[in-house]
Amino acid sequence: MDNPKVIYIENCAEHPIVTSPELDEERVMINLAQQGDQQAFYQLYQKYHRKVYAICWRMLADKDSAEDVCQEVFVQLWQKIANFRGESKFSTWLHSVTNNIVLGHLRKHKNWLQRIFSIEEQTIQEVPVEMEDSSGLSILDLHISRLPERARLVFVLFAVEGYRHEEISKMLDMAVGTSKAQYHRAKGLLREWVEI
Amino acid sequence: MNKLLSEQDLQNQVDKLPDEMTPQRDLWTGIERAIQTKQQDEPLFESSTKKVFVPAAWAASLIAAVLVSWVSFSPQQESIQVVQNNGTLLNLVIAMQDNFKQTKQTMLVSFGQPNVSELPQEIQEELLKISSAQKAIEKALIKDPSNNDLLNLLGWTQKQELDLLTQLYSPKWQSI
Repeated sequence: MDNPKVIYIENCAEHPIVTSPELDEERVMINLAQQGDQQAFYQLYQKYHRKVYAICWRMLADKDSAEDVCQEVFVQLWQKIANFRGESKFSTWLHSVTNNIVLGHLRKHKNWLQRIFSIEEQTIQEVPVEMEDSSGLSILDLHISRLPERARLVFVLFAVEGYRHEEISKMLDMAVGTSKAQYHRAKGLLREWVEI
Repeated sequence: MNKLLSEQDLQNQVDKLPDEMTPQRDLWTGIERAIQTKQQDEPLFESSTKKVFVPAAWAASLIAAVLVSWVSFSPQQESIQVVQNNGTLLNLVIAMQDNFKQTKQTMLVSFGQPNVSELPQEIQEELLKISSAQKAIEKALIKDPSNNDLLNLLGWTQKQELDLLTQLYSPKWQSI
């Protein structure tokens, strides 16, 4: 008999608990990692590090920083995983943990001139984007990485990750209107750059 | 010249973006090393507790030092008169202290009456510094109970002590 992908283990009329072998395995891994099992934590790393790295890369637009921050996410995750209570999906929780760490990293590494004068980096990378890029990234990702920092962050958070402008304005400490303006700016640049 | 991409086409491309990317170098080795190093270095309490603890205790010590010298060198005669004229305000100070002691006791009961003497020596010393600061402020308030700054300071040190006890004994925080 084929294993169904989704099994209802407790079919309560109001709140059926949906599970699957994959989710069950993940719960076990989380539980073990919460008790300090490094092997279980490694399984979680194996499952999620590519997703975490993708978020880091898109927001930081730099391979080395993305790799460093991705490591930082998992080191902090190891320390804080006991706080995960399963009230949301683990992937959702990890996603928001990652965003917080990336934004913290950006704040910490803002150069002193930007800190003092609040100057936004305006430069747009002039490096032409090759259609066949050796790093295996999509063309759109390469164009996103050319966007100025604030426009890039807003675009990634809004268009790719699905946050609302109200949420983004809080995350990036900017007005809602600024977030919308940066999004339109990013969209305009990308529409120009991406070839049909 | 390129034609401008339509918004819909851009959105379609965004929707097709992969949600995974593979880093070019092995990240696990570094993570594993960092985890193990942190585990070895980790004392009885999390570093976040200490981070908050030290500045709070340091500030409390400084306040205590300033107040002790202020109390020691200010004229005694004047203070007696001030106390007599400010009986009601003095009662407020006493009430603040009573309220603090009661809150602290309730808090400790809720944490299962932990034995503070089992804390590491370093943390006990820091708690002692905060307590000394409170005593110095109280002493100063007896001389000048209408001094709002002193009242605020007393409230601040009381809050610091309660916050620290919460950090030391309450269950760990819920989110990063």
